[in-house]
Amino acid sequence: MEPLEQLRARAEASVPGAVLEIVPNACPADPPSLRVDPGHALAVAWFLRDDPQLRLDYASNVTGVDWPETVTKEKARVKRMVDGVVKEFETVVEKRRPGFLEAVYHLYSMELKQGPVILRQRTGDRDRAVTVASLTPVWRGAEFQEREIYDLYGIRFEGHQDLRRLLMWEGFEGHPMRRDYVEPDDYDYEPTPHADVLEKARKHYPAPPAS
Amino acid sequence: MVGQRAERKQLMPANYGPYWFILVLLAAGAVFCLTPLLLAWLWARFFMPGRPGPTKNAAYECGLDSPGADGPRFKSEYYLYGILFLVFDVEAVFLFPFAASFTGLPAGAAVGMLVFLLLLIEGLAWAWVKGLLTWK
Amino acid sequence: MTPAGSMDEGLRNELSRQGVFVVKLTDLYNWGRKNSIWPLNFGLACCAIEMIAASMARFDISRFGAEVFRPSPRQADLMIVAGTVTKKMAPQVVRLYNQMPDPKYVIAMGACAISGGPFKQGYNVLKGIDRYIPVDVSIPGCPPKPEALLHALITLQKRIESEQFAGPNPAPRLARGAPGEYPVPRLGAHDIEPPFNPEVWQPPKLVREE
Repeated sequence: MEPLEQLRARAEASVPGAVLEIVPNACPADPPSLRVDPGHALAVAWFLRDDPQLRLDYASNVTGVDWPETVTKEKARVKRMVDGVVKEFETVVEKRRPGFLEAVYHLYSMELKQGPVILRQRTGDRDRAVTVASLTPVWRGAEFQEREIYDLYGIRFEGHQDLRRLLMWEGFEGHPMRRDYVEPDDYDYEPTPHADVLEKARKHYPAPPAS
Repeated sequence: MVGQRAERKQLMPANYGPYWFILVLLAAGAVFCLTPLLLAWLWARFFMPGRPGPTKNAAYECGLDSPGADGPRFKSEYYLYGILFLVFDVEAVFLFPFAASFTGLPAGAAVGMLVFLLLLIEGLAWAWVKGLLTWK
Repeated sequence: MTPAGSMDEGLRNELSRQGVFVVKLTDLYNWGRKNSIWPLNFGLACCAIEMIAASMARFDISRFGAEVFRPSPRQADLMIVAGTVTKKMAPQVVRLYNQMPDPKYVIAMGACAISGGPFKQGYNVLKGIDRYIPVDVSIPGCPPKPEALLHALITLQKRIESEQFAGPNPAPRLARGAPGEYPVPRLGAHDIEPPFNPEVWQPPKLVREE
């Protein structure tokens, strides 16, 4: 398997206009992945499948990831002139990262027995710009998994032939695998409540009045 | 030998008709079929009255609501296929006795048969021209 | 003719010693029913594998006359709810139950069918099929062994054996006023509506101890 940098360079040369980015993985055991812009994702996918050195003909897994908006606080040192003397101050800088959704494809080659190459597509945000390109035309096996992602995460796949909900029913509101999904409070009873279920039980069964 | 034959004659009733047995068999068959139905009806009448309902009477029994309008869907090809089958079938039914007694028939009967054949063949030609014989 | 129920017990024993057996019509009918329970051929999750194992040669459910798994609800007496009932599946299960002819019985097999099991607090799993249809026998286990299913079947056979059709105490499904159909829940925006059928199931009134 060729190094990911070389693969990226060849893919960018093969698909004009494509912007690929290598996303490092925080966990050292997991390989870094390749992020592709949704506009060129389909062309890059065809390249990955048909290139004689890659032949990534098998999408073993397609999954979604929800990245909600995060605000991280970082300490930074700022130099300022105070009374003609440069002094260093510690300040807290708030970093705000807007939320987005990702569809992640794990690709293997059955023919050349190599892989995986991990391909990511990122949406603009979590509400309106949630469209990425469907790679079902390239890997037929991605059809149901893209439907599942559409169902549970709410990513719309442009070019998917049959984009309907898969696990939940038509008319279901919301996307249950998103981190901010609030499930309906259908608690009625639990014989042995504990943890968050105990919290729900406290709400639903008020304590008897003190006698 | 003679004695045996006499015995056999005695076993058979004097007014022996060969169709009586068929009648008896028919009656026994009817009783055999109708008795369980009657028993089931009596059971339902006295112990277990029916409780029909819209779900219970639904035509589709996979647990899902049947989509679309009521009534079964069938391809119109089957209908046309049935008509064509009738053309060939009726033709064969009349052709067999016609062929069996062909030599003894007067000329008028042969001409009548030809007209009948012509009508059916005309129908076949019409179906052929319309493209009904090619299965889509 | 005196009904067999009011017959003197000693006389009946004496008759049976002479080779004359006297039974009630109800007993005869129940004897036939309990030995020819036809289950509905329907499995939802991993419990169905155990149900299939119970119908195979090693455990052999046909020893109890229940091997005829019917593919149509119209021909089935027993519904074995074998596995997790998701909210999307619940209306279909109730509809199939409605389409079965009376008298009909339900075995809830496994933790999921009884209460939702490990998925009880999830967003997509029904918290027990007894919220919509009356369950006769529940089998705990995750999944229950085939022996447990056979035990449930024998329990059901005992129940069928003791059922009365007429008189002051008819069996619940055989009483004149018993409902022919149970309402099929609808799939709502977040949950199935209603969350349970109050005629069949009510949440137990719990008082919290502090």
